[in-house]
Amino acid sequence: MALLRVENLSVGYKSKHGLIHAVNNISFSIEKGRSLGFVGESGCGKTTLGMTLMGLLPENASILQGDIFFNDDNLAGFNDEKWRTFRGKEISMIFQAAMNALNPVIRVDEQIAEVIAIHNPQMPRTQVFDQVKKIFDLVEIPEDRLRDFPHQYSGGMKQRAIIAMALACAPKLIIADEPTTALDVIVQDQILKEIKKIQTALNTSLIFISHDIAVVADVCRDICVMYGGQIVEKGNREEVFQSPRHPYTRSLLESFLTLDSNGDIKVPEIRESPDLITITGGCSFAASCKKKCEKCENRNPGWVNLSSTHQALCFEEVIHKD
Amino acid sequence: MKNTKNRPENKNHYVERFTKGWAIYIKNPMGKAGLIILLIFMLMAIASFFVPLLGPVYDPMTGADPNITYSTGPSFQHWLGTDFIGRDLFVQLLEGAKVAFIVGLSCAFISVVLGTAIGMISGYAGGIIDTLLMRVADIFMVLPSLVILLILASLWELSIWVIIFIIAIMRWPSVSRIIRSQTLSLKSRPFIEASRVAGASNFRIIFKHIMPNVLPLAFLYMTFRVTSAILVEAALSFLGFGDPGQVSWGMMLQWVWSSGHMFQAPYWLLPPGICISLLTLSFYMLGRAMDEVLDPRLRKEGEGE
Amino acid sequence: MKTKKFIFNKLIEITILFFIILTILFFLFRAAPGDPITRMVDPNLTPEDIQHLIAQMGLDQPAWKQYIIYIKNFFTGNLGHSFHYGAPVSSIILNRMPCTILLFTTSTLLAAFVGVFLGKIAAWKKGSRLDNFLSIGALLCHTLFIPWFALLVLWILAYKVGWFPLGGIISPELWIWDTSIFIKVLDVLHHMFLPLLTLFIIHLGSYLLLMRSSMLGVIKEEYIITARAKGLSDKVIRDKHAARNAALPVITSVGLSLAFSINGGALTEQIFTWPGIGRELIFAVSNNDYPLAQACFLLITAVVLIANLIVDLLYAYMDPRIKY
Repeated sequence: MALLRVENLSVGYKSKHGLIHAVNNISFSIEKGRSLGFVGESGCGKTTLGMTLMGLLPENASILQGDIFFNDDNLAGFNDEKWRTFRGKEISMIFQAAMNALNPVIRVDEQIAEVIAIHNPQMPRTQVFDQVKKIFDLVEIPEDRLRDFPHQYSGGMKQRAIIAMALACAPKLIIADEPTTALDVIVQDQILKEIKKIQTALNTSLIFISHDIAVVADVCRDICVMYGGQIVEKGNREEVFQSPRHPYTRSLLESFLTLDSNGDIKVPEIRESPDLITITGGCSFAASCKKKCEKCENRNPGWVNLSSTHQALCFEEVIHKD
Repeated sequence: MKNTKNRPENKNHYVERFTKGWAIYIKNPMGKAGLIILLIFMLMAIASFFVPLLGPVYDPMTGADPNITYSTGPSFQHWLGTDFIGRDLFVQLLEGAKVAFIVGLSCAFISVVLGTAIGMISGYAGGIIDTLLMRVADIFMVLPSLVILLILASLWELSIWVIIFIIAIMRWPSVSRIIRSQTLSLKSRPFIEASRVAGASNFRIIFKHIMPNVLPLAFLYMTFRVTSAILVEAALSFLGFGDPGQVSWGMMLQWVWSSGHMFQAPYWLLPPGICISLLTLSFYMLGRAMDEVLDPRLRKEGEGE
Repeated sequence: MKTKKFIFNKLIEITILFFIILTILFFLFRAAPGDPITRMVDPNLTPEDIQHLIAQMGLDQPAWKQYIIYIKNFFTGNLGHSFHYGAPVSSIILNRMPCTILLFTTSTLLAAFVGVFLGKIAAWKKGSRLDNFLSIGALLCHTLFIPWFALLVLWILAYKVGWFPLGGIISPELWIWDTSIFIKVLDVLHHMFLPLLTLFIIHLGSYLLLMRSSMLGVIKEEYIITARAKGLSDKVIRDKHAARNAALPVITSVGLSLAFSINGGALTEQIFTWPGIGRELIFAVSNNDYPLAQACFLLITAVVLIANLIVDLLYAYMDPRIKY
């Protein structure tokens, strides 16, 4: 049985202009110990999805429909109290260090100890800090830096501390939202290695959210490509990146410039993000799609099975048109 | 909003900015309330110019009702009553509104002009000039203005304009600090760099590019300066060191207190205090609402973004 | 070690600043119309005493020498004789000092703690009825005209209801007899209540508003989401993660608004006849007791400067990012 199963999930934001469907009818599942990557441009709803899975939606956002099954619990029906005992323990999140995710006035070890303490109220203080030491060891932060404040850390170390925080209670699922985006390439590489190492060592499941295709391809075995609040293509890493079938995935991969294709650089065209408020029917990508046909404008595409693991949200004839 | 779009092309940039800001401002209940209170006080101040038409009996300073030799409560002839020598309290209140506006606005104007100029020079010049000016600002910042005014009042008899000037001198540093940091951030923007490369003089850069960008902020700070100036002047008058030739709200409170009427004559004690508090409140609300116009971050918060 | 160096530097800075103020004051007193001798020496003294004081202050010497003697006298604690009291000014102001410090620190600390606490709650429940009530109340407190509010308090709570004395710091009749220390403390508290209330209300408003807006900024910070993601309770997030950060700008503002508080303190002392420095200054100025006025002014300035230093240190203590 899957660890996490999301079915027909829709999330909406109330705004002055009406309801914005940031996540629109999404379904996916993830097995224990697997890693699933979500890739898409900014505004495609991937961060909203992560926040929904953590129960951290802002006040003006809510789950419109759908279920989130985690083992036997349905997270969609959780109240605040249930979320509180659940967050950090069963599912945890790795935030971006550059975004001030560590509290500047609290010592780093205390920030990690408090996760352990809150979910293990019986554990004595000394044991909590022993645990903290172990986790710091795991993410390779020297022990003498334990009592530092966040500003004394380098960018990479902060990110390690945040990873440590997410690992503190040995959660079954970790959600990483752009964890390496603001880091320089070398540090980014170290952190990604760290994440992969820990994920396999602890056998936790990982949901990895990024706009960076290369990073997602590096970390995750399964990939979901998101566009306009929907998953438009899913499959394993090789299927999605080596033989992308959805027109959006293709243009996304084209816009990811590679210099090794005989100097033949394709310059991606600028697409407009879809208007997430007006759902008029028809494919949301239709306006920017190079292969669109009449059908695309007024009928919703369905899932096309390309292999047992590889699917695309498109029309059969569009996919096979070349 | 539609009207502005239909206007001819050569419309003034500032007019457009103003109408846009106004549209945001007037939506804010705090700004609206502040503006209404302020308008009432303005009417009072304007009305004070017509008081002489009522005859010498109603002069706020020298006119005393010959039929009244002690403080009386509200009546038909004297809407708010009279003080202990028969002067009309309502007329004094109107005069006080005028004085409060004169003190508040001129103080704020002087201190903001001074503060903006020093802030721009300090931020633009940098180096030793910057350090020196900001040190001076620090000194002024920590000195309690009322205490300084008291010491000066012990040595000289201060007229209302001297008081205004001294308060203004005490109040520029906080304006300078804000304007300086704004100037510093502007200085590094590409369009300033570009005009420097194009050979514009420092003078021209300051007046053509930096000034228009810091002015809205300076204007905002003016509203906050107004309140503190009014309060300090009123406090000084209350203690008996104001301009003796000028009726003001603080002076009215001084009279009710020193003549021992404060427990007997609430009709005399309450109005000036309420006026001072309400006028400062209205300027404060004005400032807060303007803050929202100038700072988009605050605006979003209100819309629940 | 670094902190020591910071304090040392700061003290030097304060001394220089104080020197400048001292110098300005010297020239002000000599630039004013009239004879400096009549200003600095009580004309009601006997001719011998007048001669003695003139010699002591060097008032018969050229200006530059006067200045040196002035500075020397200041640092040896000789600030002249009060006309009114006929006693050394230094002993008078040292006598008044404890009263002012008692009233001032109590009201500031109380207002800061309650203001920070209420501001924190208001911001956390932004838009709620409680928040609206607190914000509007704070706004009204913030813009109150201090002397007027003090008179109102005095009129209602002391005159009409009669719960509190009209002024002063003690009831003399209680102190003549050998009453217990407990009764005496109660007596002082009883007298202190109204001025304390006035200053508390006035300062409460600004601290509440500041804390509220600071807290609203902090709530949007990423580390608050992190804290929520950990599964911490609302109260822990509010008090441990948000409030500690939000309180930092409030501390700075305590320092910056000190000058403003001094103004309010002087007015409050005056109305409640609280025998502090502020009231003494107003008294001295009203009665042309120049040596006393000068000493009060210098003492207030010194207190402001030192209080600013304390605020700086407190800030450094609270914010680990700042190390002096």
